[in-house]
Amino acid sequence: MEDATRALGKGTLPPGPVPEGLIRVYSMRFCPYAHRTRLVLRAKGIRHEVININLRNKPEWYYTKHPFGQIPVLENSKCQLIYESVIACEYLDDAYPGRKLYPYDPYERARQKMLLELFYKILGYQNTIFFGGDCISMIDYLFWPWFERLDVYGIADCLNHTPALRLWTAAMKQDPTVCALLIDKNIFLGFLNLYFQNNPDAFDYGLTC
Amino acid sequence: MRFCPFAQRTRLVLKAKGIRHEIININLKNKPEWFFKKNPFGLVPVLENSQGQLIYESAITCEYLDEEYPGKKLLPDDPYEKACQKMVFELFSKVPSLVTSFLRRQNEEDCYGLKEELWKELNKLEEVLTNKKTTFFGGNSLSMIDYLIWPWFEWLEVLELNDCVDHTPKLKLWMAAMREDPAVSALLTEPKVLRGFFNLYLQNSPEACDYGL
Repeated sequence: MEDATRALGKGTLPPGPVPEGLIRVYSMRFCPYAHRTRLVLRAKGIRHEVININLRNKPEWYYTKHPFGQIPVLENSKCQLIYESVIACEYLDDAYPGRKLYPYDPYERARQKMLLELFYKILGYQNTIFFGGDCISMIDYLFWPWFERLDVYGIADCLNHTPALRLWTAAMKQDPTVCALLIDKNIFLGFLNLYFQNNPDAFDYGLTC
Repeated sequence: MRFCPFAQRTRLVLKAKGIRHEIININLKNKPEWFFKKNPFGLVPVLENSQGQLIYESAITCEYLDEEYPGKKLLPDDPYEKACQKMVFELFSKVPSLVTSFLRRQNEEDCYGLKEELWKELNKLEEVLTNKKTTFFGGNSLSMIDYLIWPWFEWLEVLELNDCVDHTPKLKLWMAAMREDPAVSALLTEPKVLRGFFNLYLQNSPEACDYGL
């Protein structure tokens, strides 16, 4: 994987200019926002290099790439910098040939953008620990199964971006009901493995009887 | 709604592109039940076309209109210039809620704190104009980003916040240049009408949205 390199921190030398024919993404291996950009780079077959940034110990030079040191940031050989993950993704779709990821039809494009707003409203809807208030309620149970599965992979959130979601996940795991039905990580991964092989025994994976 | 700055963005683009349209005003203090079928969030603006397609979120409506309709393109074709406009839009993002907070302030102590925060945000925009060395945020002619941020600047005078741009001379010049634009000037609201609306809106009056009619 292009991004399997050590994260650069304080005291490192700034990287040189981006060679022509390549685009650079400043990233971090576990950040979901940077992950978006890497998905688009890969989906469109865009030649790129990845520089991982140590988000807890940012290199001084990185603030010349982004005023607040955030990722992802794209840098091209013309020294143009593009940041905000959604803007970066759209830039790549516009600037590079090949398969278009956004639809051509203006209404369909608008629909995708409206869906993204819905997603942000879910993430941003919380001003209390739980989605319904200070106690767990229906909406939390209705959301939980998807987040539990993400959590099993251990990459449900990024260090700084979604503290509210991280708090919510921790609070949910304290709930007796959630606890009682928590999926064991290894069993779930074992199930998935067999499931993707279309193995009919997948559904009984982990049963001892 | 005649006084909604978010809806004003869409109306500016409709006017700037010369798109034939009709307006249905919604009483935001007393929403009709059917309006939630147009937008589950019950917010304006919403576009509806003859195919029954509904588009909401002001920035999304503006981009849709630019893509769907012919004539002058408000967003640049160049992918990097387009991305720059969207990055400036992000820089502006704290301004609407600050201006609303200022409008809703309960006492004068909050006034200075909010003004300071607003100065900070306006300085970011001043920096963009300084670095670009152009009159408008997208270059030397007016484009999408200018329309998207304008409505809140129109409010500054009525809210007696004009002094917030005293330290941002390029922004002040930009405001004057904006007022010369045909679409902007066609949609300007008389300050005393806006003031009347604010008064009623703050009192939660269902008559607010129709003030001045």
